[in-house]
Amino acid sequence: MSLNAFWDFLVLGVVLGCLYAVIAIGYTLVYGVLQLLNFAHSEVFMFGGFGGLMALTVWAPAPDPSGAQSVLYVVVGMLAGAAFGGVVAYGLEKVAYRPLRRHKAPRLVFLITAIGASFFLYNLAGKLFGRNSLAMPDMYENKRVFSFFGAELSVTMILIVVSAVGMMIGLDYVVNRTKLGSSIRAVAQDPEVASLMGVNIDKVVSRTFVIGGLLGGAAGFLFGVNNKVVYTMGFLPGITAFAAAVLGGIGNVRGAMLGGMLLGIVETLTVYFWGEEWRYVAGFAVLVVVLMFRPTGLLGERLGRTA
Amino acid sequence: MLNKTFVKLAAPLAISALALTGCGSDSGGGGDTIKIAFQGPLSGDNVQLGTNMENGIKLAIDQANASGDYDFEIEYFPTDDQGQPDKATAAAQKAIDEGVIAVIGPAFSGPADTAAEVYAEAGIPAVSSSATRPDLTTKGYESFLRAVPNDSAQGAGMAKYFDQATDAEKVVVVDDKTDYGVGLADVAEKELTAAGIEVVRQSVPQKTPDYSAAARSVVGQKADGLIYAGYYEDAGPFATKLAEAGFEGTTMSGDGTNDMGFVKLAGDAANGWKLTCPCTDPTQEEATKAFADDYQAEFNQAPGTYSAESYDVAQMIIAQIAETGGAESDSEKLLESLRGVEYKGLTKTFSFDDKGEFKNQTIYMYEVKDEKIGYVGNIDELAAE
Repeated sequence: MSLNAFWDFLVLGVVLGCLYAVIAIGYTLVYGVLQLLNFAHSEVFMFGGFGGLMALTVWAPAPDPSGAQSVLYVVVGMLAGAAFGGVVAYGLEKVAYRPLRRHKAPRLVFLITAIGASFFLYNLAGKLFGRNSLAMPDMYENKRVFSFFGAELSVTMILIVVSAVGMMIGLDYVVNRTKLGSSIRAVAQDPEVASLMGVNIDKVVSRTFVIGGLLGGAAGFLFGVNNKVVYTMGFLPGITAFAAAVLGGIGNVRGAMLGGMLLGIVETLTVYFWGEEWRYVAGFAVLVVVLMFRPTGLLGERLGRTA
Repeated sequence: MLNKTFVKLAAPLAISALALTGCGSDSGGGGDTIKIAFQGPLSGDNVQLGTNMENGIKLAIDQANASGDYDFEIEYFPTDDQGQPDKATAAAQKAIDEGVIAVIGPAFSGPADTAAEVYAEAGIPAVSSSATRPDLTTKGYESFLRAVPNDSAQGAGMAKYFDQATDAEKVVVVDDKTDYGVGLADVAEKELTAAGIEVVRQSVPQKTPDYSAAARSVVGQKADGLIYAGYYEDAGPFATKLAEAGFEGTTMSGDGTNDMGFVKLAGDAANGWKLTCPCTDPTQEEATKAFADDYQAEFNQAPGTYSAESYDVAQMIIAQIAETGGAESDSEKLLESLRGVEYKGLTKTFSFDDKGEFKNQTIYMYEVKDEKIGYVGNIDELAAE
């Protein structure tokens, strides 16, 4: 294939990478604060997809909406997705993890609980929303807007990149510049000292989950716009985003963004060179190779210390 | 003391009473009840396909019972395998324990491969109206009969259409890595190559979370046709991405995509897709219009994929039971008679070769227009035009 096609795939990789990056932040934040691998985050993401879909179905977009209407639909969908994700993540922490923390359960129990919660949530979604795939309602005409080195950019692609980058910048600001951010970093670094200094640990943990859930839910909506919504949609993007978080250095927010981008691009270029079947083979090969040389991930330093 | 004696006496009495009623129901209604089973997905992910068939079968049985043509009563026994091979043996065993004389199904290829062995051992004829994997009839399952054209015929039909009805010179064949998809794509690839059309084979595994890249690589091939061998859940987003990437060639898929779910997922992008199926559209063909009306009246929905075929198979079995002695018939006699049958149903004539393969391998074509799946006709006739 031509060089044009290469740019095409590179751009697609960036789009996918943006989605992975936003989901990966959810894993990394929770890991940074609790040293917990929250496997149920993929279901938070899935519920975000359904949240956006439901909001748009209840308030069905008119056919051939005007530009302003389109923007409104997208904003409503994204807010609904984020809200769903946030609520599910909050509930998850409250119901599944907080009791374990109270009783100082060993780390393995958290992990098994996470897997159990994930099973519970996706089967619940299958029961609630049905097991058929659903498409997002048309919110705008998905035409090609401009080309970039011969790569065609569609409305959906621009929507994904712009919203994902916006979310990442916002989150980076929150973590590094705000009071909430410094309390998150404080709890991550040393929960005991942080609580001695007057930080309410439960509150911080809960808010960390909600932030991750908001981002994951919004990403779920964007993912649904790009593909479809179905109760099993969390699994593959979830596991890839988790790998991305590890690749970038789990616990490190910028690392998660970098890892997500990298994996998205590697996967898509793999499709370009070798075909769709090799997508995950190459993605995970990169993960293994990087971890062989840098076991702490690309940006090894963390939000917190290893416990 | 008294209680103990009572229990000692009562228990065997109760058991024999149960056994008696058990026998009683077997030969109830004057000793003329015969049981027919349907094995297929009656719960789980693909329940819609199972329901389509079950309703067709129920309708056939109800009509036969009401007609007064037969001196025996048919009883319907559903056995659920959820469309999954690992649940198929238990489902088949249930039907056998129930004492059915014949089974319609198993509905899906995977479960059929598992259960056909069990039915063969019990000597019960299993007539599937929808399991299309080609090798099911070559494995020596002695009581398995297939009442539907297999995927070899479907792949060949697709190739024939591309060869004779279009000017396509290069076709991309995409499979979804499932047993069904790979089988169908293999045949299509072979037949297209034989017809002198250049083929590019690609695989896009089922449940791929993002079809953008796959769509771009199809466009990059600069082909004038595409065959997607897979199910509608994946064909939907794939079609959307193909439209977005600007693919302009002829797009075609098989019976796995022939479902309104495809159109719902793909929206506008589904328009123009050609879908093959060994099934006819009962609401369109003259011969099946009455059936479609009855079905609509009974179940308050239009017949779906394989409804009419299942209805035909059920009627064929009932007719053969009558021919082989009615209430006196047994599985052995029935199987013997089914093997040599030449039954004219609503959808087509049913007959089997010595391996149990369906003799009539006609494939029909549908096309998506204005977000509806419209019936086009017999693919051989279309290709010849």
